[in-house]
Amino acid sequence: MTFKEGKEEYYQGARKKVLFTTLCVIGVVAAFMISLTIGFYDLTVVECYQIIINHITGNIEDVMGDDIVWNTRLPISLYAIICGATLAVGGAIMQTILRNPLADPYTMGISSGASLGASLSIILGLSLWSGFSDDLSLVTMAFVFSLIPVGVILFFSIVRKTTPSKIILIGIAVMYMFSAITSLLMVTASEESLAEIYAWNIGSLATITWPDVPLPLIVSTLCIIFLYSQSRSINVMMSGENTSRSLGINTRRMTMICMVVISMMTAVVVCFCGTIGFVGLVGPHIARVFVGSETRYLLPASAAFGALFLLVANCIAMVAGTFGLPVGVVSSLIGCPLFIFLLLKMRRKAWK
Amino acid sequence: MEMSDNKIRIDIEGVEFGYSANPVLKNIGLTVNGPQLLSIIGPNGVGKSTLIHCINKILSPTKGVVCIDGEDVSSTTLKELAKKVGYVPYAANDAFTLSVVETVLIGRHPHSNWKSLDHDLDIVYETLRLINIEHLAMRSFDELSAGQHQKVMLARGLVQEPKILLLDEPTSNLDIKHQMEVTRIMRNLSQEKGILVIMISHDLNIAAKYSDNMIMLYDGEIYAAGTPEEVLTVENIKTVYDVESEVVVSHGRPHIIMLDPEFDDDVSPLDEETFIRKI
Repeated sequence: MTFKEGKEEYYQGARKKVLFTTLCVIGVVAAFMISLTIGFYDLTVVECYQIIINHITGNIEDVMGDDIVWNTRLPISLYAIICGATLAVGGAIMQTILRNPLADPYTMGISSGASLGASLSIILGLSLWSGFSDDLSLVTMAFVFSLIPVGVILFFSIVRKTTPSKIILIGIAVMYMFSAITSLLMVTASEESLAEIYAWNIGSLATITWPDVPLPLIVSTLCIIFLYSQSRSINVMMSGENTSRSLGINTRRMTMICMVVISMMTAVVVCFCGTIGFVGLVGPHIARVFVGSETRYLLPASAAFGALFLLVANCIAMVAGTFGLPVGVVSSLIGCPLFIFLLLKMRRKAWK
Repeated sequence: MEMSDNKIRIDIEGVEFGYSANPVLKNIGLTVNGPQLLSIIGPNGVGKSTLIHCINKILSPTKGVVCIDGEDVSSTTLKELAKKVGYVPYAANDAFTLSVVETVLIGRHPHSNWKSLDHDLDIVYETLRLINIEHLAMRSFDELSAGQHQKVMLARGLVQEPKILLLDEPTSNLDIKHQMEVTRIMRNLSQEKGILVIMISHDLNIAAKYSDNMIMLYDGEIYAAGTPEEVLTVENIKTVYDVESEVVVSHGRPHIIMLDPEFDDDVSPLDEETFIRKI
């Protein structure tokens, strides 16, 4: 093999990775277009797009239809994209920096914290400020509480040398404690509150409306751009602490920066829709099967695949059952078999 | 891959290091000057890895100073240091499987930026060719043998283009052919590229055969330093390893024959019922 061919081979591989991401992005656009036409309210595809065009051009004819398509389906679909991309990127980076395939954005206890915050709000009616509406109380409580476990982990990381395993174990310990408090609250809760908390823990996009979209959109976009800008350093961290340090990376600082950024974006997204699982853990692994683990390719591929996956899951969730299902349930139901199939079928060894 | 200037010098003065109450290194003083293959030998737990880690700032000595080319390591940033000192760990423990090219490419990090991928790939492939593993380029790291792993790790250290390359037991897990091959490559590279290669070794004979100089650590201190002939004496091996030996000279290099007074002169033969036979 000559020299030139060798490099060409690498580029060929790289083009395939970019192709996977591009296909996912095209898939996202297509699924997004389709998702606007799906739902229980009986509208044809043409009608749906007519409603959107009408809304954009400012002459709303069908007020009911406008409300369904523009005010309900559009924000939900957008949110599915944001949420899927955020969780999958968070998972990919957590796995890389903690060097653990079982890590996901919730490894730092974000889900248990958010869940406790939501429970406090739903059951005890606690709020950060008395002027907040019920919905806003829930969101703010979930957000603030989701960051407490991360704060605990960061505190220990600052006062003591923490290894990735210790970070994961502290996260698990805090998670159990928060879950215990949540369970304690649930014992005293009314049936309606229990149902609400239960639904929140599974995660659902059904309640998303336009005002929920801008903040997660901005925060997630900025965080993902930042993480991508650091992807070369993050990639080195796969080689372990000693090698990383000898390649000029302050692993401790980098780990903490990434944890803060990932927990911020995850918390902002999760506090509006509940703790949607699966996509953060398995999304990046499915992306790994296709593009490998080099961070500069894995990050965009995870974002695109995560978005596509949650969007499709949400399309199914919208029409399944009598009143639709929570997207969290659907994503696990279709995602797990897909993942196991890929795991067994693909020859590429992305894991040890 | 040429060096802009050829001076390479490490000065270690009064370095001590301890994990809590147990001192691992005590008052280490050492000057290493010029490109060469330098082996660090000594029993397990004597502080060989710790010494190497103090040179490349993975650990900070509790006392004393390490200077590289006259610059105090403790006031050099990790990033600046990474351009001078490369490190190849005892065993690769990358968390996820990458291809060989991707694995080696990580070593370019101190020099690379967003636009340098093409140049970095040139250097990666050049290095793979140099140590004869270019054919493995697109293979998955996990599919390779232990000897190939070691060469890939060596390549990762080399693409970092360091003036000083530190290796922690680079030939452990290798069969004799690969031990010799990897060590010979390192010795040759130290001369061709003018780099100072420092390796930790447990195989005294391999180290003696290829090293220009050796350091023998004992109880956290430098017990002996110099050429293999100066360091590997019967007395030194007895004191440091508590092993009796004979040292013979072969092709100008010392060769150690281990002796075991508790066994050698008193080998009891097996009974006739215990045997093996090739069929």
